[in-house]
Amino acid sequence: MIPNPLRDPRDRRLPRVPEPCALVVFGITGDLARKKLLPAVYDLANRGLLPTNFALLGFARRDWGDTEFAELARDAARQNARTPWREEVWERLAASVHFVQGSFDDDNAFDELAGALAELEGSHGIGGNAAFYLSIPPAMFPVVLKQMQRTGMAESTPGRWRRVVVEKPFGEDLASSRELNELVDSVFTADDVFRIDHYLGKETVQNLMALRFANTLFEPIWNGHNVESVQITMAEDVGIGGRAGFYEKTGAARDVLQNHLLQLLALTAMEEPVEFSAEEIRTEKLKVLRAVSLPEDLATFAVRGQYQPGWLAGQRAKGYREEDGVDPDSTTETYAAVRLGVETRRWAGVPFYLRTGKRLPRRVTEIALVFKRAPHLPFADTDTEELGNNQLVVRVQPDEGVTLKFGSKVPGSVMEVRDVSMDFLYGEQFTESSPEAYERLLLDVLLGDATLFPRNAEVEASWAVIDPLEEFWAGTKPHPYRAGEWGPRAADEMLAAEGRRWRRP
Amino acid sequence: MTTLWDTTGSAVVKELAAQRRTGGAVLSGVALTVVVVADESRVTEAEEAATHAAEMHPCRVLIVVRRQIDAPAPRLDAEVQIGGRLGPGEAVVMRMYGRLALHAESVVLPLLAADAPVVTWWHEAAPDRLATDALGVLADRRITDSSLAADPLAALSTRAEDYAPGDSDLAWTRSTAWRTALASTLDSVSGRRGDAVRILGGAIQGDPGNATARLLSGWLSSRSGCRIDVTAGPQHPGPSGVAAVELELDQDERVEIRADRRGGAVISQPNRPDATVALPERPLGDLLSEELRRLDPDEPYSEALEAATGVHDIHDRPAVREFVWLDPATSSARRETPAPTVPGDSEDADEVALAGSPDDTDRPTGQDGATA
Repeated sequence: MIPNPLRDPRDRRLPRVPEPCALVVFGITGDLARKKLLPAVYDLANRGLLPTNFALLGFARRDWGDTEFAELARDAARQNARTPWREEVWERLAASVHFVQGSFDDDNAFDELAGALAELEGSHGIGGNAAFYLSIPPAMFPVVLKQMQRTGMAESTPGRWRRVVVEKPFGEDLASSRELNELVDSVFTADDVFRIDHYLGKETVQNLMALRFANTLFEPIWNGHNVESVQITMAEDVGIGGRAGFYEKTGAARDVLQNHLLQLLALTAMEEPVEFSAEEIRTEKLKVLRAVSLPEDLATFAVRGQYQPGWLAGQRAKGYREEDGVDPDSTTETYAAVRLGVETRRWAGVPFYLRTGKRLPRRVTEIALVFKRAPHLPFADTDTEELGNNQLVVRVQPDEGVTLKFGSKVPGSVMEVRDVSMDFLYGEQFTESSPEAYERLLLDVLLGDATLFPRNAEVEASWAVIDPLEEFWAGTKPHPYRAGEWGPRAADEMLAAEGRRWRRP
Repeated sequence: MTTLWDTTGSAVVKELAAQRRTGGAVLSGVALTVVVVADESRVTEAEEAATHAAEMHPCRVLIVVRRQIDAPAPRLDAEVQIGGRLGPGEAVVMRMYGRLALHAESVVLPLLAADAPVVTWWHEAAPDRLATDALGVLADRRITDSSLAADPLAALSTRAEDYAPGDSDLAWTRSTAWRTALASTLDSVSGRRGDAVRILGGAIQGDPGNATARLLSGWLSSRSGCRIDVTAGPQHPGPSGVAAVELELDQDERVEIRADRRGGAVISQPNRPDATVALPERPLGDLLSEELRRLDPDEPYSEALEAATGVHDIHDRPAVREFVWLDPATSSARRETPAPTVPGDSEDADEVALAGSPDDTDRPTGQDGATA
């Protein structure tokens, strides 16, 4: 960063604002772009976090002009923006919104795009900097990337940066993700590739690092001597929505376990990074991911399920096989639970139970550390009958915060100890000001801060964990569970086999 | 909500505890206490701002309104709110009459959240010496607003004379948007050059009598090392007192930011087309939340204040103030105006005057009311 006489590290009122740049979105008419990206761009503009010289370029197949596109972008931003709507902010932004029409295999369209970008350099003063957001199906990546290579759009030079943002899934197994990584890294340099895992943009995930490494209280007990097991849950109450085509090929393990859950595991289990920088944090996460081990007895400790018709939140819910576009004999899983180990001195012997599923009773994501019971209790057995294990729960969403569960005496004349919980509600108090994950991540891309983005080695290490599972599951049928219950019986038996049970989040 | 008429500090503490127990959605993680000292005429404004700030930061809001210091009998009225009109947290609005107003800390101290920082905000003309208000002495951070004073420039000088690390002023907060725009404009110039930029001079057009404009000038001067003054321009500035800022850079270049009075500003810089940025006038609550975001001393402010007022070496002062007893009834400022008529039996009704309080042992008892 070039020194600026008006910037002072002590002056933390001044926000970090990216250099002049353009954001090019491929697949701008898609769901993600409309629901997340455009509102995030507006929110950034409204908070004054976009550079003074900024342009937004949309690329899609639809035959549109700038005005039609501006209209769509406006509606999308207005409907989903987090911050209050201010027409004057949008008007200013709309002046720098452009649309390029074309299909991804159309050379002319890409030449036009490259031309539009070069033109913006002059007219909007973006200085040649651009970030490309690939909000498109992964199958299209090679075509688009090759087009960018052909037109020279992807080259970073000392005078300008070019970055690319890739959405998950990053491949569908180790081999394909390697292929994809090689392709992306050959077109862009590895440092310019940003893989978005929006979970890592959530405040609580960042707060997990503050909780662990800024305090003295938790780190001494954050290990296998004190922790008996770890449960990481990501539950959704929704079904697959309109994404049958995508989901049929993917399934819960590839969709969620491979990225979100393993990233949360890595952040929970990693050692302290040497410093709070992108490179050091990624290094520590990678060490954990490489140390992840699968259980020998996969039949017991890797369970997958599929939701059947049922009742959820007072409404009748369809079964997975009855969803539109799903094969009536589909064996795609909508629930996955697995017991992993982390083979390090800190965690050896501590099981990490990961589970994710759709059509579970409520939407919740949390990390729960279950502590060992006290080695000796000086109370009578009857006094502590209701005392469970101490727990430290990091709630990622909703109600972002931390819960500590411990035993306390029940008021009265007899000694009776029962579990109580102490809550820190991060969400309740800060939600108004805490930015959407996409908002934060988009800003980080434009600033070039890669702290919250996994790098290719992490993605590959994660696939190395998932591949054997998929191999084992291939040809088997998922366990059925009713929509609206906490997963299949087999998942409960998986924990019961070791004398444990799932926490009800 | 509960209103307690003619009550005591202990009753307020009890009521707050009772409401926390029964209040349902109880906010558990109070991270700081905000004490708002407001004039009766500005209470609604202060309440709104504090509510907005409390939505961003988990805090307990204590609003202190001092009324009728010359009232014969001290009296406390309090309104206890949890999760109601005054935001998601706990809030207490206290109106203090008579001599109690001079001992507001006796009510406030037991209401502070345990071991959490305290921020005191005067939404009225702040005392010349903050040390004379016990509510300022107990705070870790003190927020004043020079723009509320009759003479904002004199108020700025007073703030500089009285400065201690941890002081801040909303006139300074109002300059953040301008400062952000200026800093990112220079970023963009140096980004284009690929080399650092030096500021050789410049000028601010606006209202020379505005505290924010003066602080912005002080900041630019302290960062660039050259004098950048506020001059009255042809354009009428908005509440921030700044209409335009021009900076002369090295390599014979200059940049200019000019407010367009529609919530934006136009940035002109060499080799780039003009660009517009949002530069809205921010509501009070927004300013207050910015202040609550960080609770450590604001060195750039102290440097800007130094440069704006010419008072030197202010940041070396100790951060802790010693309370100084100042009785408005006997202070020189009030002597000039005739003393109000106080009924003869006031002495018996004023418990604090009779029993004394721990903070004013140096004050001979019985002096109260002597001026009557």
